[in-house]
Amino acid sequence: MAQIPEVYVLGGYQTDFARNWSKEKKHFVAMMREAVLGALEETHIEPSEIEVAHTGNFAGELYSKQGHLGAFFLEIDPAFSGIPTARHEAACASGSIALLAAAAEIEAHRYDLACVVGVEQMKTVGPGEGGDFLGTAAWYELEAKGIEFPFPKLFGKLGDEYDKRYGIKDEHLAEISTINYANGKLNPNAQTRTWYMNYDHAMSRDEFNGSIGGRIHISDCSQVTDGAAALLVASPEYAKKWAERVGVPLESIPRIKGWGHNTARILFEDKIAESANSEYILPHVRSTVTSAQKRAGIADTGGIDAIETHDCFTTSEYMAIDHFALTAPGESWKAIEEGVIALGGSTPINPSGGLIGAGHPVGATGVRQVLDCHKQVAGTAGDYQVEGAKNVQTLNIGGSGTTSVSFVIGT
Amino acid sequence: MLSSTTAAASGKSSDLLSSRSIKHVVVLGANGAMGLGSGALFTTAVPRVTFLARTKEKADGGLAAAVKMVRSSTVGSRVDTGSYDDDFDRVVAEADLIFEAVTEQLDLKQQFFDRIDKVRRPDSIVATVTSGLSINQLAEGRSESFRKNFLGLHFFNPPNVIVGTELVAGKDTDPKLVDFIDAYCTRLLGRAMVRTADTAGFAGNRVGFKLLNECAILAEEHGPLLIDELVGPYTGRALTPLATVDLVGWDIHRAIVDNIYELAPDEAHETLKLPGYMADLMAKGVLGRKTGGGFFGKDDAGGQIVLDPKTQNYVAKASISRPDLSFIDEISNLHRVGRYVDGMRAFAEATGPYAAIAQKVIAGYISYSFNRVGEVTDDISGIDRIMGYGFNWAPPSVLVDTIGLKRTIQMIEKAGLAVPPALANAQEGTTFFDDPQVNVGKFFVAA
Repeated sequence: MAQIPEVYVLGGYQTDFARNWSKEKKHFVAMMREAVLGALEETHIEPSEIEVAHTGNFAGELYSKQGHLGAFFLEIDPAFSGIPTARHEAACASGSIALLAAAAEIEAHRYDLACVVGVEQMKTVGPGEGGDFLGTAAWYELEAKGIEFPFPKLFGKLGDEYDKRYGIKDEHLAEISTINYANGKLNPNAQTRTWYMNYDHAMSRDEFNGSIGGRIHISDCSQVTDGAAALLVASPEYAKKWAERVGVPLESIPRIKGWGHNTARILFEDKIAESANSEYILPHVRSTVTSAQKRAGIADTGGIDAIETHDCFTTSEYMAIDHFALTAPGESWKAIEEGVIALGGSTPINPSGGLIGAGHPVGATGVRQVLDCHKQVAGTAGDYQVEGAKNVQTLNIGGSGTTSVSFVIGT
Repeated sequence: MLSSTTAAASGKSSDLLSSRSIKHVVVLGANGAMGLGSGALFTTAVPRVTFLARTKEKADGGLAAAVKMVRSSTVGSRVDTGSYDDDFDRVVAEADLIFEAVTEQLDLKQQFFDRIDKVRRPDSIVATVTSGLSINQLAEGRSESFRKNFLGLHFFNPPNVIVGTELVAGKDTDPKLVDFIDAYCTRLLGRAMVRTADTAGFAGNRVGFKLLNECAILAEEHGPLLIDELVGPYTGRALTPLATVDLVGWDIHRAIVDNIYELAPDEAHETLKLPGYMADLMAKGVLGRKTGGGFFGKDDAGGQIVLDPKTQNYVAKASISRPDLSFIDEISNLHRVGRYVDGMRAFAEATGPYAAIAQKVIAGYISYSFNRVGEVTDDISGIDRIMGYGFNWAPPSVLVDTIGLKRTIQMIEKAGLAVPPALANAQEGTTFFDDPQVNVGKFFVAA
């Protein structure tokens, strides 16, 4: 695979994921506004310089009875009047799809500077109704309709499949949860930064940590989150001028070095049937990881300094560990036991806290992951900085391993 | 000198953190809300926490409540319980940190400190969670090693949710200990620390209860419902002022404002005087939410009722008509879509008698805060931090930045107040709020 044309990530901004915007009585456009204006301020870019905008959002129609979220970009600033916009949806991978679209347009020389904003306001409804909405990321009629909290159950089945093929222990899932919460405490934007959590709690099975889907307990789950994240991505021409303007060398600006994007059949049981003869349980996810690395000219995960992965549940991160080939298939537990994935390990996973620790505003997650990669590579991640990070990779997954997107961000 | 910066959170904190070790905390008054909440918080960083109360049963009750508060039974695996009679001398002698959270009475606290002084190790830390009693006064008569190792550590309730924390040194407190506790609480307990002087109400309650009491005074003429809407969420707070007083309790409110009124006469002295109608009603047993109602309550049928301070009777909320407050609706609509600057500029420019009341209270909050710099904190960022992280109110600097310097000065002048020099001498375009980790938009709640 040939290396891809250069697309620079100049910077961005995320909202504090601990906020409850329904309690603040706000419309989601306020969230988009804070994220985009924050990104502009962070990068010293004027609103009038943005040429195109892409919004990632999963289910505004359900949570806020509002579609057409691309158009809401114009409500942020009068300077945006007339610019082309679009909204992108691929369940929990919506944010990454929006970034892929923006990057493709820059690669095609259509525009020099694009804004990508991911947004989801989820606390407009209670947990039961929200769980039902999330069920539309699966095949609703067949996998979610009438089922309480369908997604924990689907990702519980992912754990069951590991159990069947290789064996899996609750202790390792609890360790994944503990690490993500601990990392989240270092991230000033993490939703759970003040929450009570420790390994013993993640292993506890009483009323405070009940099962909500087979082997999935409360502490194994990512959060219901209100939040937005925005990125400014640019062509080499714009990046050169910008680098001069802000006084940094062009080579120091993180870029999208590689990307991967695959889709698997939507029903979880079809995915599992398809992978019966594969050593990977979700082989399309494996392809996404490797194609991003190949495009980046990186041989394997040994060339990746940290990972921001899609830990919608502890089982999804468990899956990510062997799908990144940090261990042989089925041996993810080794990387957990050896401290590989902890902050300070050889390949830290989710220094930000990930979806479990930092939060999971569905349409914003893919954008937030790339923003965190940018912070790692630029050395601005503060207390959750991975020292010397040069190449950091994301894995963002929509549905039960259905749409997978990965970016390698590096200098 | 005081320093309310986040220096302790930066690189040098690792040296500081290794300068002492806290392996065992004893909480006194562990059956009260502050004691058990703080105790639960300590279990996140400390392997052993002892809950002490008058009886072991009461301490066990505190532990059960702490488990419910943080929703984790694992608190229990790090906590042991006991009573003052049976266990005090032994566990206090073992403790690295003795955390006092008994009832807010000077003589009672002093009795406990006297007992602690007799049995504690000379190197152990003694902290009080007092929200306003003088640290120097509390330390009077104690041994030298006690005074050296004694400080105020004012968590806000509930401490597992509210991270803003005041750190108050006495005149004999070891400065190295103050630095250590600052770093420890920041790094290991996730606190947003603010160092304050040993002045009445410290920083947060001094500034916060001044506004609350001013609203209580204004309610006598205008009624609690109107005042709570005028100084409501759109002015930069989640909970309205008089509902806040009902929540914290009128007795606590009175203790705080009486203390400040007595010990810290300042330019806003009269706004810190408890209104007479509150004293009258307190004599009849009205203490706010804990007695079923204060400014707001419910009638026997469950209908919402509101106090009429003039008659000291309650009237149905539905019977109170809302005057024309369209300026609030307009600002709220701007906040709702994230146009906070437009919203707060409209606030400063709103006209009419009701807007004038709201502007006066907010102008008073800003000017009073800036006038306390040098007295309760070294700089405005200390007051900003405690109002943001402790009260969840828009910090004064956020209001100045959002409203704009010139408009803020005009608003303060229009309210008949003196413009603090820090504002009068600043250049237009100066940004006052300096904490990039705070989303300032969160303070401006739409109605």
